Amino acid sequence: MSFQDWIFALHLLTAATLVGGLVMSWIVLVAQRSADTADATLSLNRVAIVATGAVAVGLPGTIGLGIWLAILRPQLHPWHGWAIGAIVLWSIATAALLRSRVEYAKPIKKAKVLLESGETGPSAELTALNRTSTGLLLRALASAAIVLIVVDMIYKPGA
Amino acid sequence: MLAAIRPAGQDLPVLLHIVGATLAFGALLASASFIALARGQVRLLRLGYFSLLFVALPGWILMRVAGEWIYRKQGWSGLPNEFKHAAWLRIGFIVADGGGILFLVALVLGGIGVYRLRSGKSAQLLKLTMVIALALALAYVVAVWAMTGKPGQPSLGASAPTAPGAPAGNTATTVAVTANEFKFELSKTTLPHGNVIFTIVNKGKLAHDFSINGKTSSLVSPGKSTKLTVALKAGTFVYLCTVPGHAGAGMKGDLTVN
Repeated sequence: MSFQDWIFALHLLTAATLVGGLVMSWIVLVAQRSADTADATLSLNRVAIVATGAVAVGLPGTIGLGIWLAILRPQLHPWHGWAIGAIVLWSIATAALLRSRVEYAKPIKKAKVLLESGETGPSAELTALNRTSTGLLLRALASAAIVLIVVDMIYKPGA
Repeated sequence: MLAAIRPAGQDLPVLLHIVGATLAFGALLASASFIALARGQVRLLRLGYFSLLFVALPGWILMRVAGEWIYRKQGWSGLPNEFKHAAWLRIGFIVADGGGILFLVALVLGGIGVYRLRSGKSAQLLKLTMVIALALALAYVVAVWAMTGKPGQPSLGASAPTAPGAPAGNTATTVAVTANEFKFELSKTTLPHGNVIFTIVNKGKLAHDFSINGKTSSLVSPGKSTKLTVALKAGTFVYLCTVPGHAGAGMKGDLTVN
């Protein structure tokens, strides 16, 4: 395997970590919609942290190694249409994921407050925060952008 | 880069293969995390199992079916054994099929584990499911490395190998090979036995190589050329491009040596 092959393999491994992290976060997100107690919310958050870690490794790894690869490969260039499209989609996905983290931090904060005050039963306010439509839409937007990046990387329109 | 070396018509199965593999990978990680971080909570233990059953299993099926589709589209079954048994391809099959059996074991164990949870019994079987899920996720990392890096395949910029038994200075037959999408043109297809120097010129838009009698040239970028020296005895030899999918698309043929 050449150096370029290693960069390519690492690029796809970080991409798999990113998409894998997103799949994890979706499973947590769906489960979170039925969580109505502080304990259930915080226990789901333990898995959400692992998913966030995978996404945090995958996002910079994918773009950094991808651009490096486009520079190394003689027939690829970062200014090609499909590459620019991928960079734009990556920026949208990153911004949406960061913003959705803010939305999903709210129920965690609320759950901690409830636990500190000794309220362990179901909370309507916590349920509403767990079912945030803004967070869901942002996560859906980020996921759609990532799926489009995968399609763009495989079909490479214009290449 | 994948698309840049893949003939048209193979994009959809590759897309489905990758989507299936990442779904399975993510759900395996999720399953292992749910069970590992459950701290005895039945809800999280069940979520761990259901992630495996309802997300990872469909992902694995999609990955495997699309993988088989790619294998057929790229015409691997029609290639000589030395090509269709390439190390990276074997790793892929071992992880997919061997992993599939482990997957079923994890599902059965997990299913029994979830059933036992109802009667308040311990979650030991689910912990075993978690260990298998983690092992499978690690195996998928190895498979992604093998399928993308393709160890053993020629790389761009690698020096062209020279066949053993082809001493310099001996009289050799020279054959000009023109590579294009997706065919080879050879200046001669019938040769006398002995050393043969193949001069490979890539006039296509994609990278190609040239392989014959177990020897493979370096990967040639568009517009570039390379040489491959091979000692050939009398017989008929299959030549082909080893870049996945290219031989299946037409970059192969027979050479007769008298």
